[in-house]
Amino acid sequence: MIKLLGAELKRIWTEFIRYPVDSISVVLITTIIFYGLFLSASYIAGPSALALGNRLDAIVVGYVLWFLVTFIIGDIALGLQAEAQTGTLEQVLLSPFGVLKIFLARAIASLTLRLSLIVGILSLIMLITGSHLYFPPSLFLPLFTVLLGAYGLAFIAGSLALLFKRVQQLLGLLQFVLLFMLAVPTEGWSGPLKIVELLIPMTLGASLLRDLMAQNQSLDFSQLGLALLNGVGYFALGVFIFHWAERRAKRQGILGGY
Amino acid sequence: MKSLEAAKLRKTYQRRGKQVEAVRDVSLVLKPGEVMAFLGPNGAGKTTCIKMIAGLIQPDTGWVRIAGLDPHRNPKALRMLGAVLEGNRNLYWRLTPIENLEYFGVLRGLNPGVARRQGLALLERFGLGDKRRTPVQALSRGMQQKLAIAVALVHQPQLLLLDEPTLGLDVEASETVKALVREVAQEGCAILLTTHQLTVAEEVSDRVAIIKNGQIIAEKPTRELIQQFSGAAYRIKVAGPIDPDKITKLEALDAVATEEAVFYSGPPEGLYQVLATLKPLPLIQVQQDQADLTQVFLKLVRDHD
Repeated sequence: MIKLLGAELKRIWTEFIRYPVDSISVVLITTIIFYGLFLSASYIAGPSALALGNRLDAIVVGYVLWFLVTFIIGDIALGLQAEAQTGTLEQVLLSPFGVLKIFLARAIASLTLRLSLIVGILSLIMLITGSHLYFPPSLFLPLFTVLLGAYGLAFIAGSLALLFKRVQQLLGLLQFVLLFMLAVPTEGWSGPLKIVELLIPMTLGASLLRDLMAQNQSLDFSQLGLALLNGVGYFALGVFIFHWAERRAKRQGILGGY
Repeated sequence: MKSLEAAKLRKTYQRRGKQVEAVRDVSLVLKPGEVMAFLGPNGAGKTTCIKMIAGLIQPDTGWVRIAGLDPHRNPKALRMLGAVLEGNRNLYWRLTPIENLEYFGVLRGLNPGVARRQGLALLERFGLGDKRRTPVQALSRGMQQKLAIAVALVHQPQLLLLDEPTLGLDVEASETVKALVREVAQEGCAILLTTHQLTVAEEVSDRVAIIKNGQIIAEKPTRELIQQFSGAAYRIKVAGPIDPDKITKLEALDAVATEEAVFYSGPPEGLYQVLATLKPLPLIQVQQDQADLTQVFLKLVRDHD
């Protein structure tokens, strides 16, 4: 698995830097989008934004998470779609590692690259705007639960790509649903809404992240346990559906078709 | 041990509410070093069979063994298999040839160092050594095809599946691919190839299997199949005119003679009597009427209509 992860990291990095103009554009566009989002959030909040400092930072955390999760889901689903189209998918599936391990290795490799980019860009934006996000090491725990949920959804979207091939439109719609899941302010929710929060993918983890990074609160471990349960549940569901979709595609003979 | 055994493969698809039998009871066996040409008209079921052998399509019934292992259940079977599938790029276009070889080598279970070493050796052997740092999308179609075959061989498989390996290649590239197929087979790798270019099949294959409407309609050693469809007639060309007296004698032997040539279709031993009759005229050519694989293929496919 380590060999596979190494090979995927090398491939993804090589493909990323092969055409420098392309890679620089990705970094520039991401920076501009983040900066633009930050500026517009400040504008909407108005001159009293200073008083809403924490709220603003929470918006930034929400946006960054949304960007990351959208990327993860698009990466697996659109990657599968593109590889079925170009014909590398069947070559990849001829590997004794099996499709799940390969796509998991790909997802981790791709996330490593993307996380490095985001941390770099975020640091740059904080420098420009003077905004401060806290990066305590404990943030990795809720982030991990969000990522588990994101991969679960990514494998479900990947299953759709395996079976139906064209999923761009669906992914476009999904972006807004994701934005809701990650940015909905559940802090004020109580009663039955609290149960809904537990069932929606990633929401609880995202809320914990906001508490940690924007409001500098300490980590609530009981909430973290619930967020982890949510993440593991969605990840397991995604893996199960992906396995099922692969077997179905093999039965229908549509694995490499487009 | 046999490199490939496929027994009674059957596949039915559901297309617009109808059941379509794509493959019916196909069985194939390949020994190490053997090249089998798998021929058939478009839509006959060749690609479905190839993909069932590669574990990419699940057969409804029947089984496959690659070097004794089932590719549908045992991932180790895939270490014994290399494939170049038709209509596919089979390669990452943004990567260079050596990067592709290294990546796919690891994907097939090699260590990165071994994959690189074997990849470099294959690039030299396939005449792509000087292109190892050029992104694949900048290579010619022939080079890309050679590289796809090299990638399929990087983990030294026991079975190579080639779906239309010479499609779209110019004459020179096609010749190189044919030579490579023969070379690889001589080293002990069994090769199952599909092609519509029957001259390619005739030149490189030891055996031929012809599939039509999902069923194998003929499966024999290539030479035997061609021989079976070749006539028993001989055409004898001589220098100088054959005199009328000789022509009369030849006609008594059931031969048809013109001034320059004789056509004989009697029993083989009678050929020597014909030659004795022609003596002392200098012989230019004695040729048996020989069919080619194209004629055999067309006859078999039409007869099964």
